[in-house]
Parts: sequence; C-alpha cells; structure tokens
Amino acid sequence: MKNIKIILVENDEDEQFFMKEAFEKNDVFTILAFACNGNELMTILNENDDHLPDLILSDLNMPGKNGYDILKELKADQKFAHIPIIITSTSSLKPVIDNCMKLGAAKFIQKPDTFVEYDDYVKRLALLEFESLN
Amino acid sequence: MMINPLYFFNSINNYVFIMLNNIGHIEYCNNAVGSFTGYDAAELIDQPFSILSTEEDKTRKRAEYDLSVAVKQGKLEAELWRQRKDGTKFWSCSSINPIYDDQHEHKGYAIIIQDITARKQNEIELIEREERYRLMVDGVKDYSIFMLDVKGFVITWSDGGKKIKGYNQGEILGKHFSVFYTREDLENKKPERELKIATETGKYEEEGWRVRKNGSVFWASIVITALHNDHNEFIGFSKVIRDLSERKKEEEELKQSEERYRLLVEQVRDYGIFMLDEKGRISSWNEGARNIKGYNAEDVIGKNFSIFYTEEDKLINKPANELKIAAKVGKYEEEGWRVKKDGTVFWANVVITSVFNSEGILIGFSKVTRDLTEKKEAENKLRESSERYRFLAEKLKETNTSLAAVNKELEQFTSIVSHDLQEPLRTIKSFLVLLDRGLDTKDIDVVLLKTYIQKAISASNRMKELILNLLQYAQLSKEDIAVEDIDVSELMGEVLQNLKSSIDTAKATISLDIDQRKIKGDRVQLIQLIQNLVSNSLKFTNNKKPEISLTTKYENGAVLFSVTDNGIGIEKDMQRQVFEIFRRADNVKEYPGTGIGLSICKKIIERHEGKIWVDSELGKGTTFYFILNHQGFQ
Repeated sequence: MKNIKIILVENDEDEQFFMKEAFEKNDVFTILAFACNGNELMTILNENDDHLPDLILSDLNMPGKNGYDILKELKADQKFAHIPIIITSTSSLKPVIDNCMKLGAAKFIQKPDTFVEYDDYVKRLALLEFESLN
Repeated sequence: MMINPLYFFNSINNYVFIMLNNIGHIEYCNNAVGSFTGYDAAELIDQPFSILSTEEDKTRKRAEYDLSVAVKQGKLEAELWRQRKDGTKFWSCSSINPIYDDQHEHKGYAIIIQDITARKQNEIELIEREERYRLMVDGVKDYSIFMLDVKGFVITWSDGGKKIKGYNQGEILGKHFSVFYTREDLENKKPERELKIATETGKYEEEGWRVRKNGSVFWASIVITALHNDHNEFIGFSKVIRDLSERKKEEEELKQSEERYRLLVEQVRDYGIFMLDEKGRISSWNEGARNIKGYNAEDVIGKNFSIFYTEEDKLINKPANELKIAAKVGKYEEEGWRVKKDGTVFWANVVITSVFNSEGILIGFSKVTRDLTEKKEAENKLRESSERYRFLAEKLKETNTSLAAVNKELEQFTSIVSHDLQEPLRTIKSFLVLLDRGLDTKDIDVVLLKTYIQKAISASNRMKELILNLLQYAQLSKEDIAVEDIDVSELMGEVLQNLKSSIDTAKATISLDIDQRKIKGDRVQLIQLIQNLVSNSLKFTNNKKPEISLTTKYENGAVLFSVTDNGIGIEKDMQRQVFEIFRRADNVKEYPGTGIGLSICKKIIERHEGKIWVDSELGKGTTFYFILNHQGFQ
C-alpha cells in the first residue's frame, strides 16, 4: 500500500498527542513533521524543500499564522502550491468551509467531537486519500 | 390781249399738267414737272407716261391701265406712288381726263398731278395710330374697353370686353349699355344717371355689380369718360370695366383669414400674444396675455411694454434693448422673470419678433409670452426630488455599508462561537472522556487523572475569559457613545492612574508630550482604548524595562495620538491582523491573552470615526497611532 507522507499542523499539544497516536496506528500515513502553526510549517517546508510532504493536514484556528494564512501563502508559492492541504476544524460553518475551499484547500474535514477519538477520523481520511489516488 | 395759255400753265407750280397723245406719250408738261419729278419738261416730251410710274407699276403696266380706265370711265382719279428721275418716290394724286376733238375723236389725255405726300403721311400715321390703339385696347384682356355713342349705345368692342362680359363684338355693337346692369340698377335708372354724371363732370367712377351675357354678376370697377372731339363737340363715352371678382374674393378671403387669425390669437389662452408698435407700445392684446399678465386690453393698449419688466430690468434698459436686438436680427428670445398686474413675478418664455411691411420697413413687433412658472417649479421640484433621492441613495449606501459591517461582525461572531468558544469546550469534553476512561481502568493513575482535571479547569477558565471578552466587545457595538469635551492631559492622567500598579511593577518610564487642546469623544471608551495600548506596551517587553511615550499632536483639524514602546515588536506579516478579534501571535505561551484588546481599540476608534494603525519593528518596539477628529463627529 502506498505510503502518504504527511505534515500535521496543530497548536494544541494534547490534541497533537492523540492525533499522532491515531496516525501512527494507520499504515497509510507517515508523519513527516508536526507544526504548531503556519510559522513553524513554513520553516519546516523551507528547510526540507527536497523532501516535501504528499499532504498537509492543518488546523484552522491557531495563534500566529493560522489555516487561512497557510492556504494563502502556500498556494501563492510555486514550490509548494502543488501540495494538497486539508483543513480540519471544530467548526463546520458553511462560510468558513467556503472560504477555505476558495483559498485552495483540497478538502475540509471537521475535527472529531473530542481529540481522543482520532482513529475513525484517520481511517476515513486514509480511505478518501486512497480513493483520490486511485 | 390774251395771255398765251402756256404761260398760265407754267405759272402754276403746285400742280403738274401733262398732256399725252392718244398713244400715251407726253406731248406737253408745265415747268412744275421739274420740281416734282426732277425731269426737265423737254426731257419728258415723247416719253411714255409710264416714265413717272414706280418700277412696280411699270411692270404691272399701271399707267396704260389707268389711261384705259380713264377712257372707259371718262376720267380717273387715283392716289398712287410716282417715281422721280433720281428713283425716289412721292405720293401723288393723279387726275386723268381723256381729250376729244370736236368730232369726238380721242386725241389724247389731260393729266393733273398733285404731290400729296405730306397729307398721305398724316393719314398713314393716323391709321397706324388708330390701329395701335385698337391693338392695345384689344390686347388688354383684363379690362373691357369700349365706346358708347352719346345715347349710350355700344359702338366699339374689345377682346377684354368679350372675356369679361361674354359678348362677341357682333352681338353687342349697337346695343344699349344698360344690358350690363342688374335689374335693380335698371329700375333705379342707374345707367342714365351715370351717363348724366359723366356728361356733366367728365367722368363717372364706381365699383359695383354688373351682369354678364349669361346672366351671372361680377364685381366691377367702372370708369365712364365723356369724349369730345377736336372741336369740343360731345361725341360719346369711353367705358373701362374691370372685373374685380377675383380681387373681391381675395379681399374677402384675406379679411376672413385675418379675422380667423385675430380670433385665433385672441382666444389662445396659454400664450400671451400681442403686438407692439416700433416704439414698443402695445397695440393688440389677447386672452392669453390677459390670463398670464392679469391686464385687460384697455389697461395696456398704448402703454409701453416695459410695464411687464422688473424694476431692475427697467433700470438696465432691458425692454428697449430687447427691441433693438429683435429689430437687428429679426428675433429676441429668452426666459426670465416678468411682472404681472398684481406685482407678482412669473417665469416667462419670451419671443419678440420684428414685423416688417411689404416695403421692408419695420412697423412693429409681435411678442409671444409663455408662463413657465409651473414648468420652472416642476423643474425645481424635480431637482429637489432628485436631490432627495440622491440623499436617500447616500443614506441607503451608508446603511448598506453599516449593514455590511454588521453582517461582517455577525459572521465574525458566529465564527468566534464556532471556533474560539467551541475549542475550549471540546477540550473540556476530551479530558472528561479521558477521565472517564481512566476511571474505568484497573490501576487508576491518580496523577494523570488529576492532570486531566487541571487541563479541563484551565480550558473552562479560558472559555470564561473568552465569553467575558466577547461580551465586552459586543457591548461596545451596542451602546451609544457619550460625546463630551475632553481635556487630553486629564485623559492621560486617568489612564496612568488606572495602570499605576502595573507601571510600578514593571518599573516603566512614561513620557508625555500632549497638545493642550480639548477633543470630543466618549471619555470612558477613550480611556479604555489608551489603557489597552499602554497595557500591551507593559506586557510585551521580553523582560526589558518598558519605556513608553505618549504624544498627541494637533494637525489639520484632527488629533494624532501615538503610544510608543521599546517592546518585542510585531512581525510585518502579523501587523495587519493584530486588530482581528481573538487573533494572537504565536507567542501566546510567553504572553497569554485572548487577543481581544486591540479588537476593542479598533472598535472604539471606529465608533469615533477615527483611524488606528500600527508601525513596528520586531525586537525594537511598536508605535500605535490613532487619529480623532478635533471637532468631533456626527
């Protein structure tokens, strides 16, 4: 099975912990890095531009550069514009989703009800990615 | 003693005497023949009589013919051309008598020739003259010209007469001229009376009805003139008749059409139409003029039209100038104020047109005035209503703008609720789930579970803080602002007093440079604004001793505030976003806070119709600027 290299962007350390656990359980994804916001993501990408991820999964609401900033910045950068960005958030408001898609998000996925329930989330994501790859 | 008869003949020089033999050759002629014909008497002897004929008569053998006629008739008198020796001609009266001897034998001819050229020429001229008159009279088609004898019988006729009255010459000659009169005129003995007047005074003239051959009548101009010959004998009348039916008809039509126009003009109600003489005096008036200006015809006829002008216009001689222009270029047109009889003014459209007679001489002006007051008012109303609409449109635009702002705020609010408030709630729930799971395990890790509880409490605190901040922010939008005159120094004093303990704790240096002029605004809100900015300066220090400078500067009717610090500064990328609600830089761990402070500052400034912006360099410090209108705002 194809391995999808992913960078996760999430500011909450506890949430990061449970996400990491869930993603590691699933053999579809390989986590290249965790970033706590857009600022850190940009540093990681720029430092590893020979080793870019297949996918970026980013939270929307973060101190510093948030999900919107990440979309704007990466989609405007020739080097990174091709990387699909999936936005994930507690919110499921239509204007918020529309805005993300308008800014170039590949998908918008609502976060699980609690951050301890990431297993199903990751399985669903894997399935979506698998489908889109085939 | 008896005189030789030859002397007798030769002594007569105004007659030529010629004696021919029986074959027509000249045997004798008296000396007068020389002056008549240019031939010597001797030259003519034995010449045929035809020597004195014209070339034409010679060819026709006129002389021989005449002689033979004289023989037959016993004598011949003829007027004819004769030719002189030099070829010129004279008009002669020749008398030819054959001569017989006692035995009645024809011996020859005795001829007397008289030069009648002068008389003949008079005759010819007379004939030609009469002919010319006849032709002229006949040629006149529009007049019937004829003569009557002393009793009134027609003795000449002309083509014009035929055309006008319908009689041929043959039908009318010899008839009495009374046939041209109507029965009524005949009963009144009008023909006789006319002739009597013409006889007594030399002439009778009138216009009246006359009758044609077919019985129809026509309107005629008639001149009857009594005629006298050279000896002053009364010989009859000339009569000249002209058919005026056409003219009469035209006159009637003109009269009618003038009447129609007069009635038309008089009855027009919406236009004042009247005439001015060349000096500007009113000479006609219509219903419209009465209607518009309030004057009756008898009020204004004869008055100068300047009575319709305002005093100002009269002073600058406007009425006369308008006439001058109209006279010069044919027309003057304008819209302007004019005065009614009651002194009120109306907005008039005026057209003055110069009127010329058929000789091209200016005889006056026509003036058409229209009351445009209503139109003007309608225009004004239209303008007003369009102003009003423009105003409403602007209002609508303003409302739209503020509605859009409210919408944006609402969107922001829902976004806040869905993210910022939901996040801590989700965190709390997550830890409660973990706690629940932890309690279900056999070996309960109390320390871990305690951590969960701590984290849940922390999240709920954060949520409470967010809710409070949000309410504070929402309150700013809701409340009216209380505008008052504010002494800026006092304002700053209050801010520093409120923050005294924080300032003391941070050991901060505060410097002030304040313009003393008062400003208008909401004191409480402005204190909160400045307090938030100074608090930030005290907070984001990276453990440096804060140096904060507060200045106000008056420029162009506005007051520029600045709050400058030597703190950590703000990244260029974040500078635009610092005013967004709950937006924090990624230094939230070192400098906790919800990120509401600057949003509140911005909101306050917006409510004061001012402007706020930031200038900062990372690591060196930040200056927040804001501008308030000195004189306040609506």
